[in-house]
Amino acid sequence: MKILAPIRAYDELEMLAAAGAEELFCGIVPREWMERYTGAIWLNRRSPKGGSLETYDELKRLVEAAHGLHLPVFTTLNAPYYTAEQLPLVVDLARRLSDEVGVDALIVTDINLLLRLSEEKLAADLHISSVAATLNSEAVRFLLDFGPKRIILPRSLTLEEIARIVREVGDRVEIEVFMLNDGCAFEEGFCATTHHHSVGAFCSSLSEMRAEFEWGGPVLTRRRENWLRRNLADYREWVWYLNGNGCGSTPKGLPYGPCGLCAIPDLLRLGVASLKIVGREASPLKKLASVKMVRDIVDRARAGTPKLQVIDRARALRETPEHCDSGYMCYYQVDGARKTR
Amino acid sequence: MEWCVHIAGTEDLEGELSLERLAGMEPSAKLQPSLELTAQVIQERFGSVRFTRCTFGTEFCEHLLPSPEALEAVRSAARERGLAFTFLTPYVSDSGICKLRGLLRLLDGDEVVFSDWGVLRLLRQEFPRLTPVQGRLLNKSLRDPRVMGVYGETETSGLAPAATLDALRRSNLDSESYTRFLSRMVVAGIEMDNLPQGNDLGFAGRGMPLAVYLPFGFISTSRVCLAAGLHYRKPDKFQPGAPCRHECQTHLVEYAYTNSPFANRDQKFYLKGNTYFYVHTAAMLRSLVGQAAEGRIARLVFQPRLPMLQAHEEAA
Repeated sequence: MKILAPIRAYDELEMLAAAGAEELFCGIVPREWMERYTGAIWLNRRSPKGGSLETYDELKRLVEAAHGLHLPVFTTLNAPYYTAEQLPLVVDLARRLSDEVGVDALIVTDINLLLRLSEEKLAADLHISSVAATLNSEAVRFLLDFGPKRIILPRSLTLEEIARIVREVGDRVEIEVFMLNDGCAFEEGFCATTHHHSVGAFCSSLSEMRAEFEWGGPVLTRRRENWLRRNLADYREWVWYLNGNGCGSTPKGLPYGPCGLCAIPDLLRLGVASLKIVGREASPLKKLASVKMVRDIVDRARAGTPKLQVIDRARALRETPEHCDSGYMCYYQVDGARKTR
Repeated sequence: MEWCVHIAGTEDLEGELSLERLAGMEPSAKLQPSLELTAQVIQERFGSVRFTRCTFGTEFCEHLLPSPEALEAVRSAARERGLAFTFLTPYVSDSGICKLRGLLRLLDGDEVVFSDWGVLRLLRQEFPRLTPVQGRLLNKSLRDPRVMGVYGETETSGLAPAATLDALRRSNLDSESYTRFLSRMVVAGIEMDNLPQGNDLGFAGRGMPLAVYLPFGFISTSRVCLAAGLHYRKPDKFQPGAPCRHECQTHLVEYAYTNSPFANRDQKFYLKGNTYFYVHTAAMLRSLVGQAAEGRIARLVFQPRLPMLQAHEEAA
């Protein structure tokens, strides 16, 4: 089981490798794309400014140095779709990334792009993005026809559902799961909204909108309306957790945000291939702290430390037991992980 | 062009299938004006319409999969009325695949809308007599009503570059390689939403029949359900795929986008269970029926209620 870290600049490489990253992923948005489509259409699920590298030379330097450290580099081409006009640009970009830059894998969502790239026989492997919403074993089998080396499961799958998929098809494809940082209130592959800076994320903007209930059940008494409002307030709190606790950090600068640390012993036992730390656009400090936390727990799990001890260590690393106990900061529900149970 | 109505159970098929009756079925006072407007726009353009197909099921939640009894009853009632039958299926976990396998065994020669590649594989491998249709969830065009309508309106002012607007009005469907792929998968049609920024239906002439829903479009959906949280302790709320009591059937939230950075501060969005929807404006409706009248749309699917329907047979 590998630790996959986000990276957006050559300067971050040394520290991420030293902290324990074992695989890297990044995005690139060539200037031609920006000139044609502006910031309204994202090439790779991140705003072109701040989340991606901008030139092939920059990326090539990063890839060569990463390979020198025995770290593979994966690149995202994971927009939900590309139009007929965009597709040749993206296929050409994929060829250059694979054959000139030397990236190890391309992370893809759009079935049409996947189809085209599977016919190209590139040197780079294909990874299927979580945005493809691969929620069941039949979907994995469908996607195997495109020859992917890895499938990234959506955040919304439970440990039991991941276990079933690994059991059914884990011998035919690597399975990657989310481990740390960004959450998503919706099923990422079925969210037709934009995070464009003019409006922000839909899930968090809803928390600022006036909400009115309509109730089709028994009479909407004051008590019942309060019950509905309390539930909405809880939901908004949950969204706040997904959003990195309002983009906050601990007094020591450790990042908040959705977390799967307590699940690492289970994920290792299941045979999951890779743990994804999210946040290409995050600060170097956040990336570094994230990799260190995951590495600490992975090392303990690899060494066979008992699961409950690993969980205690994970909670201690997060430094905020009240957030762990909220139940809203966990990617996965793990037996023994919450003290309120 | 074919007219289809999205029904919730046999009860819907018991009376006259007129737009007037169907448009009056939504219990929500908040949504009723949109349905009346839709019926009015349709009648202005087409006069009275005759529904020859019904669709049943949901694309958005596996907890709303009907019981085998409800599915059989609805399909049988549709046949008795001489209506063609389409079964809508959601995105699903492995346990949803198992439930669907049992339901699909009850169908024969019917159309099945898939929203999940796993369901397409299931159809192809085990149910070759059923006709797969790609659902609107697999059409990935952005349809965020907060901003896409604004882009649509900038066409004349030039605020959005033409290439940007063009790409937003399309999807991968305008690639021939993709529609050829769907044909190889024996997919017989495509379903879409009417986009706030407008739809470029240039691909529609390439032999893949297109169905469009009105008057509700989906914005976003989740395996986490706000309404289901009502019956959980706070720390246990909002878990993906958690069992529910179908709270979505009695629970609607209307969001008012009064803090929009644009002029569209009168917009409203609706949450039903795990899915957010927008409603079509009069301009969107007129544009859609115009495209239908030009022959670019093979089927319009009228949704008399927000499409998060538990079968009447089970709700009773």
